Amino acid sequence: MTSQPAFADPGLIAWLETASDQDLDTLPFGVVAMAPDGIVVAYNKAESTIAGLRPERVIGRHFFSSVAPCTNNYMVAERFVQEAELDATIGYVFTLRMAPTPVRLRLLKRPDARRMYLIVERRMPGEC
Amino acid sequence: MNADQTRESLEVLTQFLYVAPVGLLQFQSNGAIELVSPLAAQLLVPLNPAGDLSNAYAALAPLVPDLARQVREFPESEGPIVDHSRCAVTAGGRRFVLALTVRRIHGDLHMAVLEDVTALDEREQQLQRDQERFRAIFANVREYAIYTVSLDGIIDEWNQSLAQFGGWRPEDVLGRSLDMFFVAEDRQDRLPAVLLSRARQNGSVETEGWCLRRDGSRFWANSVITILPDGEKALRGFVVVSRDMTERKRVEDELRRFATTDPLTGAFNRRYGESCIVKALDESVTGGQRPGILLLDIDHFKSINDRYSHEAGDRALCALVNACKATLAETQPVVRWGGEEFLVLLPSTDLDQATATAERLREAIRHASVPTRNGVIRMTVSIGGAIGQGESIENLVHRADTALYTAKRNGRDCVVMAA
Repeated sequence: MTSQPAFADPGLIAWLETASDQDLDTLPFGVVAMAPDGIVVAYNKAESTIAGLRPERVIGRHFFSSVAPCTNNYMVAERFVQEAELDATIGYVFTLRMAPTPVRLRLLKRPDARRMYLIVERRMPGEC
Repeated sequence: MNADQTRESLEVLTQFLYVAPVGLLQFQSNGAIELVSPLAAQLLVPLNPAGDLSNAYAALAPLVPDLARQVREFPESEGPIVDHSRCAVTAGGRRFVLALTVRRIHGDLHMAVLEDVTALDEREQQLQRDQERFRAIFANVREYAIYTVSLDGIIDEWNQSLAQFGGWRPEDVLGRSLDMFFVAEDRQDRLPAVLLSRARQNGSVETEGWCLRRDGSRFWANSVITILPDGEKALRGFVVVSRDMTERKRVEDELRRFATTDPLTGAFNRRYGESCIVKALDESVTGGQRPGILLLDIDHFKSINDRYSHEAGDRALCALVNACKATLAETQPVVRWGGEEFLVLLPSTDLDQATATAERLREAIRHASVPTRNGVIRMTVSIGGAIGQGESIENLVHRADTALYTAKRNGRDCVVMAA
């Protein structure tokens, strides 16, 4: 595989499409890969560590309604539903282990891709 | 518990809090958020996208701008500071209604509970709008009373229509049975209970009858009682819509009178008389009682008209009918059969009784007098009668007619009964 992409890399989604689970685990930021219907199909180590959830607990479940309900609103979940193509980066706050955790989210979706992605990176409070 | 069990237990608890459908925040007096659940983030991040959910007062500012002051000024060491307060907020161009509760748990420890009640609030607003609509209707209907009763007929609400309809005040009707609107006769027959039972069976029932006003006066009402469902399977009670039909009944009664009576004399008209006879004959088949008819023909009526005047003749006819009615019972109708011919129906009689009745009528008419400008008119009648013997009306009338003819031939002013 080519060298590791960065969080904001334009080619990220192409890289993710062909990445194996081991490849995903090498990334320093969290990756949640979903089927078009929102069911989690891959959940990398970085995400698992900071969320405090093992992949087995997460894979096969609907991400927005049952794994991370904090994202189940118009800012995140609804965008994946409504928009055919998505590449948006927003500031958000996760509640990983019930602590408010400022994060940066990148929403990735393409009509020709087999999966859609939520990329998660911590940010400093005050950063955008 | 070993390390694996601890981890397992922690994961299970974490998951539990992740999916709990209520937003929870634990914070200190200075607002520092120590713990926050995912649903709280779901609801609060859109209100302050640039924020970081580190401070409760900042995060909840769109809901309660002065929360810091309220917490600071709350005197108790524990208790509710904000209690299920509803707050309307806008996010992403949409309106949400959130319910917020903030409690001091102990000392510096505070908790906030947050819930999205947008749908609930919308339902309550809709209910409010419906109630206002009904109030407007009730305040404006004049001829109708609309009210609900429980399953056993107890009036459970009052509205303006009851005041307009019968002068009823809330204290008059609340908690009382709808029996109170019915007249004594209907109450004795347990009519209200019967109506509710029928409504229950068929979904609704329509009835007409007397209704009472608060001042005790009665009026004719048309009522429709409909079941009031409670969900899909149960019943909550009934809705009653009553309409004052006094005017319509008055008109109907008058129409009926016009249709069945002779306008001049007030006797029944021939068509109605025939239907009465047919009915009496039909009932005699099953009942065993026998009807009788008496045909009365004024003797020399033509000469009365010629001698006095047609108008005087008319008054003579009226006098005859009045004399008959005074002698007879209400169940024995007087019918104007022809121009100067009358028929009396005796629904249940025998030869002796009919003869005696006929003789009384003959006497009464003999004694009737009609004062006119040209003197007092006196008249006599010839009467022919027949007792029904399970025959047709045509046959019965023919026999009475034949008897009448005999009475005329026998010199008039007499009674002849058919054999």
